[in-house]
Parts: sequence; structure tokens; C-alpha cells
Amino acid sequence: MEQQQDKIPLFKTWKAWYIFVLVVLVLLITGFYLFTKQFA
Amino acid sequence: MSSIDWIVLIVTLIGIITYGVYKSRTSRNLDGYFLGDRKMPWWLVLLSIMGTQASAVTFLSAPGQAYTDGMRFVQYYFGLPIAMIIICIAFVPIFHRLKVYTAYEYLEQRFDVKTRTLTSFLFLLSRGLSTGISVFAPSIILSSLFGWNIYWTNIFMGGLLIIYTVTGGAKAVAYTQQLQLIIVFVGMFLAAYMVVNLLPSNVGFVDALKVSGKLGKLNVITTAIKKDGSFNWSDQYNLFSGLIGGLFLSLSYFGTDQSQVGRYLTAKSETQSRLGLLMNGLVKVPMQFAILLIGAMVFTFYQFKSSPLFFNEVQVVKVQASVYADSAKTIQHQYDSLNKLKESYVMEYVNAYQAGLPTDAYEQNWKSAQTQTDTLRTHFKNLVKKKEVGGDANDTNYIFLHFVVDYLPKGLVGLLIAIIFLASWGSIAAALNSLASCTMVDFHRRFSKRELTEETEYRLSKWYTFGWGVFCIIIAMFAYNLGNSLIEAVNVLGSLFYGVILGIFLVAFFLKSIGGKAVFVAAIITELFILFIFYLIKKETISLGFLWLNPIGAGGVVLVGLLVQSILPRKKKAEATVF
Repeated sequence: MEQQQDKIPLFKTWKAWYIFVLVVLVLLITGFYLFTKQFA
Repeated sequence: MSSIDWIVLIVTLIGIITYGVYKSRTSRNLDGYFLGDRKMPWWLVLLSIMGTQASAVTFLSAPGQAYTDGMRFVQYYFGLPIAMIIICIAFVPIFHRLKVYTAYEYLEQRFDVKTRTLTSFLFLLSRGLSTGISVFAPSIILSSLFGWNIYWTNIFMGGLLIIYTVTGGAKAVAYTQQLQLIIVFVGMFLAAYMVVNLLPSNVGFVDALKVSGKLGKLNVITTAIKKDGSFNWSDQYNLFSGLIGGLFLSLSYFGTDQSQVGRYLTAKSETQSRLGLLMNGLVKVPMQFAILLIGAMVFTFYQFKSSPLFFNEVQVVKVQASVYADSAKTIQHQYDSLNKLKESYVMEYVNAYQAGLPTDAYEQNWKSAQTQTDTLRTHFKNLVKKKEVGGDANDTNYIFLHFVVDYLPKGLVGLLIAIIFLASWGSIAAALNSLASCTMVDFHRRFSKRELTEETEYRLSKWYTFGWGVFCIIIAMFAYNLGNSLIEAVNVLGSLFYGVILGIFLVAFFLKSIGGKAVFVAAIITELFILFIFYLIKKETISLGFLWLNPIGAGGVVLVGLLVQSILPRKKKAEATVF
């Protein structure tokens, strides 16, 4: 089937993609926390 | 509006309609009309997902929200990236494998026809009404600001997009959303640049952040934990409600709402669907942060320039024409005097801060003036709410547009107004397409006794799209007479139904021991319970943020489903085929 042959871009597995999205979220929340500490 | 603004507005809108019609060629069957022949690349899926979620109110309300309540609204989106991952793991593979047109088709294969029909009906009810409000919400703002006739504004807001949505289906929706979002982002970027540029010459971006932050507008992360250590459940936007409530809301919206499911089903493969969703998880939070930051900067701008007492002029006129005219005049007079003082205090604060001098005294004067102007604004809002006036005391949606019209150069005002139309069209077009697909696939085709040809299905689908378009405009027309509380109720409508719909899907995916009868009963009981909680919230018997209704609804269906299943007489195997 065509769908299974589609290569995952950037990372080798979807699991790596999911971890990447979670890491970015954690970094964003940390960044926002520091932003709040700095200015609010 | 100037003639240049009118030209920019008209050219942009005609351009989008023409582009939509130009991109309308699809196969004359349901695959072509509702899923764009399943040929879309991930980036088009991404833009379509974003264009569907971001309505006009997103770009109007969010800056106003930051102006009044600070940037903490961004936390509402913290659960979204996690939801994208769960949908990629649990939902996308099944939808693609079964080659469904609607998410609810799967429920018949997993449970039975009544569960599919109930869920699809709940979707049609909530999405149909909320799309009507999506037509009305930006129309009433434009109508109030420019004195346009509300009925004609509704027709332009909800009617013109029908041309390309009916002719081109999902493909036209996706391609126009792509162009719409590009124009929206360019316009918002220019507005952001202009607001910083309009600050006094000695006030830079970091100074502006400092000013905004000092008055609590940069409160991006909040916890809602009180001083005594307890949690404030009625607080709408905080880290926990955003992560938990936002996760459930996003799971329901992206995983079970056909207006979104229909977008990523247009992808040419499972991989492209997943990529579109994951990219949405990466860009949504920073995008909302940027939009809210514009609102915080508008707030800073109005520290140096007198801000209106109330941003909705129509309501101001109402008060002035009422028995409270004298009170309003006194408040306005005090407000203007305080604003002048505030402008000098904030400038003194910035000068002292930049010179490295002590700022405490200046800060105290400035904050005191701000508190007093806030109090006067509250007094004026109370007048707006008086029975004799009967006005809308919430001016959040008018703040950003008021700034745009008053301070942005000619041409850019027209572009920003065009953005309101385009953002609305993007989400309304996707909603019409999904409403038509559910009506056609889950009801007409499912219950039709006659075998329908591909051509007949294609033609009927166009009529259903047109019919839903007319329905939404009619709802928008009625919304004008509904009053604020009902409109507010319709706005939280998603949270009233989403939790239960998500609960049904969670049972379908993860609890294979529960059959159709149990989940159907559980859904009915939980929905009634959610409506009861909503009634208690409205009566102020209990205090609860509406985001919490999503996990309660989803959890309710799971728990009641397990309970009912344990009571029901056991069959040899689960009732329906399990995927």
C-alpha cells in the first residue's frame, strides 16, 4: 500500500517525532515561565 | 473607511473567491468533493487545520483578551500538542485504514448505527449553531464600528464563501485557506510592527514589555493556586486547566469534530496527515503567543496615548441616550483627566528607568492612576449593564479593531478588515463542508433506501453545502435578537458536547469490552449530567471553568459505560466488530 511506503521525514520513527513535539512544548512552557518571571 | 481601504478590501475578497472557484476542479464523487481526492500534502493539511481553527474572533478577541486580562490565555493551548500526538497514535491510523468520509462512520463499525447517528447528530447540532454564531460575531463588530447594516454584513460574511465552498468542496476550502492564512499572517505582522513603531520615540520594544509587565499583562504562566494552597476551580486559564482541560478539548475538537477530521482526511497518506497534525502542535502555541503579545503592546501603546473609556461606540451612544447620560458624562470627564496624568506618570517612570534612577515613586503614581481608570471603566460598564440601557458590557472584541481604525495608515485598515472576513471564511467554509459531509454520508446515504449514483451523491452534496450555508446565515440573523447570554451559551456549546463525543471515541479505541448499548446509554446519561452542571454554573450555584466540562464529559462516558456494561447481560463476545 502507498500509505505504508511513505517515508517519515526528519526523524527515523514517529516516536522520535512525538518526543520532539513534547520537548518543544516543555521548552516553550519553560521559556514562558522565565518570560513571566522577568517581566510580570 | 477611506477609498483606498475599500479598494484593498474588495480586491482581496474578490481575489479569494476567484482563486477558490479556479481551484474547484475535483472528481465528481464524494471522494473528490469532501476529501479533495485524498491528494493533499502535509503543509496544505497544516494550513487547512490552522485556517479551520482560527476564526475572525481569534484575531480580534485574543489581542483584546491580552489587553484586559493579560497573556495567560495562551495556556488554553498547552494541551494541544499532546492531543496531536494522541490523535496521531490512536485516531489517524484507524480513520485512514477504514477510508472513512466522516469520523462517525467508524462508530457504526465499532458499535452500532444508533451510536453513530447520535454522535453525528450532536456534531450537526453544535457545529451548525456555532457556525451561525461564527458568521454573526465578526459581523456585529464590523457593523458596530462602521455603522454597516447587520443583515447585509451577515450575508457578505456568510454568503460569499458559499460560492467557492459549494463549487469546489474540500479542495477549494483547503486552497483558499492557504491563501487566506498567508494574508492574515502578513497583516498581523504589519499590525505588530506598527504598534511598536507608534510608541514614543524613546520607548523601545523591551521598554514596552517592561511597561506592559508592570501592569500584569505579561502573566503568561499562572497556576490558580491560592495563597492558602487550594486550587481555584473557577479560574478559566491557568497551567493546569490548559494542560488537562485544553488536552481534552483539543482531543475532542481535532479527533472527533468532522470540521477538523475532514481536513486531515484530505491528506494523500497517513504520513502526511500525521505531519500536518504534529506541525500544528509545534506552531500553534507560539502563534497564539505572538497574537496575544500584539494585544499586550496595544495596551502599552494606550499607556502613552489616551484610551477610550469603552471601546464599543454603539454601547457608549446607548448610555448617552439613557437616563444615565449625566453619570456617563461625569465618568468620562474624570477618566480623561486621569488619562492625562497617567500619560505623564508612565513617561516619568520610563525616563527614570532608562536613566538608572529609582523608579518606585513614579511606579506608584502610575499604577495608582491605572487602578483609578480601571475603576472608572468598571463603573461605566455597570451603566452599560443597567436594565434601562440593556447593553453589552464586554468590549474585548472591539479593542484591537478600534486601535486599527484609529491609528493604522490607510490601506492597512482595509487589509485588517479583509483579514476578519478571510479568517471567518476559512473556518466557516470548513464547517459547511463538514456539515454537508455528515448530512450526506451519515444520514442521507446511510438511510436512503435507493441506490445513489456517484453523480447524484455529488450533486446532493453541493445542495447540502448550500443548505447549511443558508441555515448558518439565518442563525446569524436570529443571533442579533438572541441577547448576550444565549450567544455566550452557544460559544461554550462545544464544551457541552465535545466531552461526551470524545468519551464515545475513547471507549471505541481503548475499551473494547464495552459494547454499543452501554456506550449509548452512558452518552445520554453523561450529556444530561453535563447540561445539569452547566445549568448550575449559569445559576451560580457552583463555580467551575467551562474547560473542565470536557474531561468530566469524557470521563463520565467511560465510567458510566463501564458500569452499564457490567450490569447488562453478557454476550459471548463484544457486540460489534472491534478494530
